Amino acid sequence: MSGAGPASGVREHGSSILVALLSSAFGVALLQITGVLDDAIRADPITGRSTTVGIMLTVIAWVFIAIAIYVGSIVTANTFATIVAGRARSIALLRLIGSSARRQRRAVAREGLVVGLIGAVAGAAVGTGLAVALERLAVWADWLPEVAHDWADPGLAAPILAVVATTWLAAWVGSRRVLTVTPLQAIGGSQPLSLEEARSRPARNAIAITLFAVGTATLVLSMLLGLVTPFAVLIGVVGGILSFTGVVLGAHLIMPPALRLVGRMLGRSPSARLAAANALRYPERSSRTTIGVVIGVTLVTMFGVTVASFRLLIEAAQAEQPEVYEGTGAMLDGVTAVFSVLIGVSALIAAVGLVNALSLSVLQRTRELGLLRALGFSRAQLRRMILAESVQLTATAVLVGLVLGTFYGWAGAQSLLGSASGMPGIVAPGVPWTILAIVVVSAAVLTVAATITPARRATRVSPITALAVE
Amino acid sequence: MDITTSIDVVASEPAAPALVARVANLTKSYGSHGARIDALRDVTVGIRRGEFTAVMGPSGSGKSTLMHIMAGLDSPTEGRVWLGDTEIGGLGDEQLTLLRRRRVGFVFQSFNLVPTLDVEGNLLLPFELDGRTPSPREREWIDELETVLGLDPRLSHRPHELSGGQQQRVAIARALVTRPELVFADEPTGNLDSRTGREVLQVLQSATRGYGQSIAMVTHDPIAASYADRVIFLADGRVVEDRPRMEASEIAAFMLAMEQAA
Repeated sequence: MSGAGPASGVREHGSSILVALLSSAFGVALLQITGVLDDAIRADPITGRSTTVGIMLTVIAWVFIAIAIYVGSIVTANTFATIVAGRARSIALLRLIGSSARRQRRAVAREGLVVGLIGAVAGAAVGTGLAVALERLAVWADWLPEVAHDWADPGLAAPILAVVATTWLAAWVGSRRVLTVTPLQAIGGSQPLSLEEARSRPARNAIAITLFAVGTATLVLSMLLGLVTPFAVLIGVVGGILSFTGVVLGAHLIMPPALRLVGRMLGRSPSARLAAANALRYPERSSRTTIGVVIGVTLVTMFGVTVASFRLLIEAAQAEQPEVYEGTGAMLDGVTAVFSVLIGVSALIAAVGLVNALSLSVLQRTRELGLLRALGFSRAQLRRMILAESVQLTATAVLVGLVLGTFYGWAGAQSLLGSASGMPGIVAPGVPWTILAIVVVSAAVLTVAATITPARRATRVSPITALAVE
Repeated sequence: MDITTSIDVVASEPAAPALVARVANLTKSYGSHGARIDALRDVTVGIRRGEFTAVMGPSGSGKSTLMHIMAGLDSPTEGRVWLGDTEIGGLGDEQLTLLRRRRVGFVFQSFNLVPTLDVEGNLLLPFELDGRTPSPREREWIDELETVLGLDPRLSHRPHELSGGQQQRVAIARALVTRPELVFADEPTGNLDSRTGREVLQVLQSATRGYGQSIAMVTHDPIAASYADRVIFLADGRVVEDRPRMEASEIAAFMLAMEQAA
C-alpha cells in the first residue's frame, strides 16, 4: 500500500536503494579485499604463520563498514520520514476508509525491507565485481601474488544482512509519524499538513549533553596525560567516541543554531531569507539531513589533522636525522589516503541523503512555489533561493565537521605525541591542506549538484498551481 | 451598461480609461488536435476601474481560466489581453513576473501566505521582491491596512497560528499593500464558514468603496457575488450575462435557470 504507482515508487525510493547499494557494495568490497590480502599474507612462507594481521584487517574493515552502515541508516530513516510526511493525506484517506495506523506503518516498513533487499543484493554484486577487478589489477601489476581466493565466503553475508536489517529498521523508525496521522486530515483544512512538530526530548537531550561533557572532559584529560605518555591516546579514543556520540545524538541541539548562523550570513534578500527559513522549517529533518555529512567531514578532518600534526614532528626530527625517517612521509601519505577514501564512502552516502532531502523538500512544496511565482518571484529568484538552501545545508555541515574534526584530530595528536620529543610539549595542530582542499571542493560540487533537479522542478512550477484547490 | 459590445469595435485602440483590464476575442484551449477542449471561446469583456466585479459561473465555465489569463498567470491561445494600457498577451515570463509583482494583487481560496514568514513578513514580501523597503508613504498605508483589518496584534504570528478568516485578511492586506491596479480574488471565501466569509467580503467591498480599489472576484457562490457592484456570468467558456449589482436570490435564480437551460 504505497499509495503510489511504481514510477513514483522508484522516484521516492531511488535514493534509499542507492544508499543501501553503496553501503552493501562498500562492505562487501572491503571484506573481499581484506580477504584477498589475508590469503596473500598466509600464502607467504614468512608471514603465513601469523593470523594477527588478518584479524586486524578485518577489525579495521568492520569499523569503516559500521560507520558507513550507520550513516546510511540515518539517511534512510530521514528519507522515509520525509516521504511519510509527503504522503500524509493519502495515509489519512486510507485511515478514513478503515485501515489502522499500525497497518499503515507496517506497510511503510515493508517498503523499507524491499528497498534494503534490492540495494543490498545489487550492492553485493557491485562490491564483488569491484574487488575482483582490483585483485586482477594488483596481480597484473605484480603488487600481489596469484593466490586462490574464495569469492563467496560466508562471512560476506554479514554486511549484506546488516544493510537489509538496518534499512528495514530505518524505515520503521522513519515511519513513526504515520501513527500521528488522523483520518480527519483526509478531509483537509487549508493548512499544509505537517507531521513534524518540534518535540522536546528531555531524556535524549540529557544523554547527549552528558556524553558530550564526559567525553570532552576525558579528551582534555588524555591531552594532559599525553604530555607524559603516548598511551594517553587510548583514553583519548574513548573520550572522542563518547563526545562525538553526544554530538550525533544531540544533532537537533547543535545543527539548528549553526544553520541559523550560516543562514544569516547569506544576506537579507527575499530569496536568502526564505531559504534560511526553509532550512529551519523542520529543524529535526535538517539536523538529520546534515549530520551524516558532519560525521564524514569530522572523521576525514580528524585523520587529516592528526597525521599532519604527526608530520610536523617527523619533519622536525628529520631535519636532525634524515636517514632514520626516510620514507615515513610517503607512508603517512598512503595511510591518510586509504583512511580518507574509506571515510569518504560514508561522506558520499551522506551526500546522497542531502541531495535527496533537498529534492524531496522542493517536490513537497509545489504549491508554495506556485504561490511565490504568483506573487512575483522570478525564476531566477526561485533558483537563487534553492541554491541558498543548498549552500546553507552543505556549508553548515562542512563547517561544523571541520571544527569538530580539527579539535578531535588535534586532541588525538596531542595525547599521542605530547611526550614524543622526550619531554612534555604542546603539539601544534597541523593543517592537512590537501584534505581541506578536497573537502571544500567536494562540498562545492555537492552544493551545486544538489540544486540541479530541484531548481529545474521549481522553475517549471506554474503560478496557477498555487490556486489549485487541494 | 453592456461594456462588451463597445469593446468589440475598439479592440486595437488603447484601453478606455474606465477599464482596468480587458480581453478581446480571447480563446483558450487545452490539449492537442484530437482532444481539444476550449475553456474560453471568443470572450470579449472588460473590468471597470474602481469597481468590485464578480465573475460567476458553474464549475468548468471558464471563469478561473479567464481570471488566470487577465492576471498574467496563463497565456491566451488566441485573442488579446490588456492590463491598463499594457498588452500582456505576448509578454515573456520575466515581464509577467514583474507585472504580477507590481501591478496585480492576489487573494486565493487557500494557501495564500508563505508559511515560513510571519504576518509582517508576508505583507512586506511584495516590496522585498523588488529589492526595496516601503517608502514612508507606503509604510503609512501598510500601517493603516494593518489597523483597518485588525492585524496589529498578529504581526509576529505565523500563518498556521491564525484562523482561516485571519489568514484571508492578511492575504487581502498583502494584495492591497502595493496599491495594485487590480486585485484578483479566486473563491476567497471558499474555505471559510459563512459568517467569516461575509466579513471577508465586506473587507473587499470596503476596499473598493473606501480606496477605489478595482477588484475582480471569481466565485460560484451567489451570496459572495451579491457583494459585487457588477456580476458577469460565464457558461461553457462564453460570457452569457453582464449585470449591475444583484441580490443573492436573483443570482441564485439566474444560475439555476442557466443550469436548467444547459
